[in-house]
Amino acid sequence: MENNKKNALLRTENLKEYFKISGKGYLHAVDNISLEIMPNETLGLVGESGCGKSTVGNTLMRLLKPTNGKIFYKGEDITNPSKKKKLELTKKMQMVFQDPYSSLNPRKTIRSILSEPFLINKAASGIELEEKVNALAKRVGLEEYVLGQFPHELDGGKRQMVGIARALAMNPEFIVCDEPVSALDVSVQATIINLLIDMQKEMKLSYLFISHDLSVVRHISDRVAVMYLGQIVEIAKTDTIFSNTLHPYSVALLSAVPKIQFGQEEERIVLTGDVPSPMNPKPGCRFAPRCWMACEECKNKDQHLAEVEDGHYVACMRWREVREKTAGQAWKKGIEVEHE
Amino acid sequence: MSRKDFIRRMRKSKLFIIGLAGILAIALLCFLSPLFAQFNPTKSELSNRLLEPEWFSKGLGGHVFGCDSMGRDVLTRLLIGGRTSLLIAFSVVIITTLIGLVIGLLAGYYGGVMDLMLMRVCDIMMALPTLLLAICVVAVMGASVTNLVVVLSITGWIMVARVVRSTVMTIRNSEYIKAAIVLGIPNYKIIFKEVLPNVVSPVIITATQAFGGMILTEASMSFLGLGVPAPAPSWGAMISDGREYIATAPWVVIVPGIALMLVVLAFNFLGDGLNDIMNPKNKD
Repeated sequence: MENNKKNALLRTENLKEYFKISGKGYLHAVDNISLEIMPNETLGLVGESGCGKSTVGNTLMRLLKPTNGKIFYKGEDITNPSKKKKLELTKKMQMVFQDPYSSLNPRKTIRSILSEPFLINKAASGIELEEKVNALAKRVGLEEYVLGQFPHELDGGKRQMVGIARALAMNPEFIVCDEPVSALDVSVQATIINLLIDMQKEMKLSYLFISHDLSVVRHISDRVAVMYLGQIVEIAKTDTIFSNTLHPYSVALLSAVPKIQFGQEEERIVLTGDVPSPMNPKPGCRFAPRCWMACEECKNKDQHLAEVEDGHYVACMRWREVREKTAGQAWKKGIEVEHE
Repeated sequence: MSRKDFIRRMRKSKLFIIGLAGILAIALLCFLSPLFAQFNPTKSELSNRLLEPEWFSKGLGGHVFGCDSMGRDVLTRLLIGGRTSLLIAFSVVIITTLIGLVIGLLAGYYGGVMDLMLMRVCDIMMALPTLLLAICVVAVMGASVTNLVVVLSITGWIMVARVVRSTVMTIRNSEYIKAAIVLGIPNYKIIFKEVLPNVVSPVIITATQAFGGMILTEASMSFLGLGVPAPAPSWGAMISDGREYIATAPWVVIVPGIALMLVVLAFNFLGDGLNDIMNPKNKD
C-alpha cells in the first residue's frame, strides 16, 4: 500500500465532491474516495447510473473543483494548480468523452478540431501542424479524407476515434475515459476498445475507464473499483473481483451480467427498492437499505474500505459471509472455467 | 451545415427568396432614389396641395402618388423617408445585436452570479416602457435621428440577450466545451471559437425578425413626433401628417402605410425563411 502510494501516477486522498442544492442541502456525488492509478495501468470504475462515476472523472480533470480532499499527480499535489501548472497538466492528463455526437463542435472540420491541442500549446504551425495532424489521424486509424469533413458527416465510431486522437495529441500519460463506448453500436465498441488498448501499449498510457458495462470493463481493466452512491465499495484486480466478489453490491451487479451458458443453474440476485437519494445521506452503510445481507449493525455503522486479501479492498463487515453464500455460484464458476 | 447545404436550402425556401427579393427591391429603390427623384422632398408647393395621384399618366415626371397637404410629392418623400427608416432600423438592429450578444454570451457562459446580475439588469430594462423613455429622452435632448437610435437601442438589446443566453447555456453543457477546457483553452477563446459560431444562426434569425419590428417602432415614434424632426420625411411622420385628410385625400396615408406593411412583411418572411434554413432539425 505505502509502496503503491509512492509510485502511483495519479492518486486521490479522501476526495469529496458535494453539490449544494438550494433549500435541500448537499448532494454527495463523490464521498471520500481514495484511489491510486499506477503507470501503464487501467483502472475500471463501475457502478449504476448516478453513482458518481463521471463526477470522479470530471473532478480529476479539474472540470469541477473538489469540495474536499486532494489529488496527487506523480506525488505532486495538483488539487489547486497554478495557471502555468494547469496548462502543463493538460498535456499530461486528457479525457475521452461519452457522447461522440456532442464532444465535437459541429461547426468545425475534423482537421480544425485536431489542430486545437497543437495550437493551444504552440507546438506546431503551418505545414508542420498539417503534418502532425495527418500523423495523429493516421495513428488512430482515420483516413486522411476524414480531416476535411464535419463531425455530422461521420459515424459514431469515427467520431470517437477523433475524440481519442484529440486526447492523444500531446502524448499524455493519463486519460480519463468517461463511458467511451456506451453511446456506440456493439460492433463499433470493439474497434474503439481495441484502439484504446493498442494506444495504451504504444504510448504507455494509464486509463481511468469509467463504464457501466461490466464485460467491457473486464476486458480492458487491470483493476476494477465498484462504486455505489459516491463511495467505492470494492476494489481489486480484475480477475479477483470477478471470481472472488466480496461486497454484496458487487455480487448483485456481477450476477446481473447476461451470459450464454446453457444448462447451468444460475442464481441472480435482484436488488429491491430504489437507489436512496444522495442528498444528505444518513450514517451507516449506504447500501444497507437494499442489501440482501444487511443486519441492524450495518444500518448504523459506517463501512470503510479494508484490505481483506492482498490488494483486495472491501467496504463490508460481512464479507466472509458473502464469500460463503456465493461460493459455487454459476457466475463465479463461469469465470474460473475461463481462466483454466 | 456546410456551405453547399446552406445554399441548396436557401434556394428551396420560398419565404426566404420572396423576403430577400422584396427587401432588396425596396432598399435599392430607397437608396438609389436621389438618382432619379424628380422633386425636392422638403420643398412645399402650395399650388399642388393634396394633388390626386397622377399614376403614370405623365410617366415618372408627374406626381405618381399625388401630393400631401403641403404640396410635396408623396413618392419622393416615401423613397427618401424609407432611406431614413431603413438606416435607423439597421443601426438599431446592429447595436442591439452586438450588446445583446456580449451580454448573452457572458451570462450564459459564466452563469452563477454573472448571470444573475445581468439578467436582473434585463428585467429592469424590460420594465421601462419604450415610449415613456423616448418622451423623456426627446424632452431632454430634443428629437433627432441619433436620439431615436439611442432610445430604441436602450430597450432593444434585451430580446437578443435572452435568446443568446439560452442558446449559450445549452452549448455550455455540451461535451465539446468540456473537451476545450480539458485541452487548456482559455475561456475567452472558448467563447469566441467554440460558442460564438454556434449562436450565430439564432442571432441572425432574431435580428432579422427584430428588423421589421424596429421599422414599426420607428414609425410610431415619428408618428408621435418623437422621431425624425420635420420637415425631413419619414414614413411614420407622413402617416401622422396625412391622418387629418384621410377622408378627402386617403393616398397621403395609404401609400406610406402600404410601404410600411410591405417592408415589415418582407423582413418577417426573411426571418421565417432563415429560421427554416438554419434550423438543423428541419430535414429536407
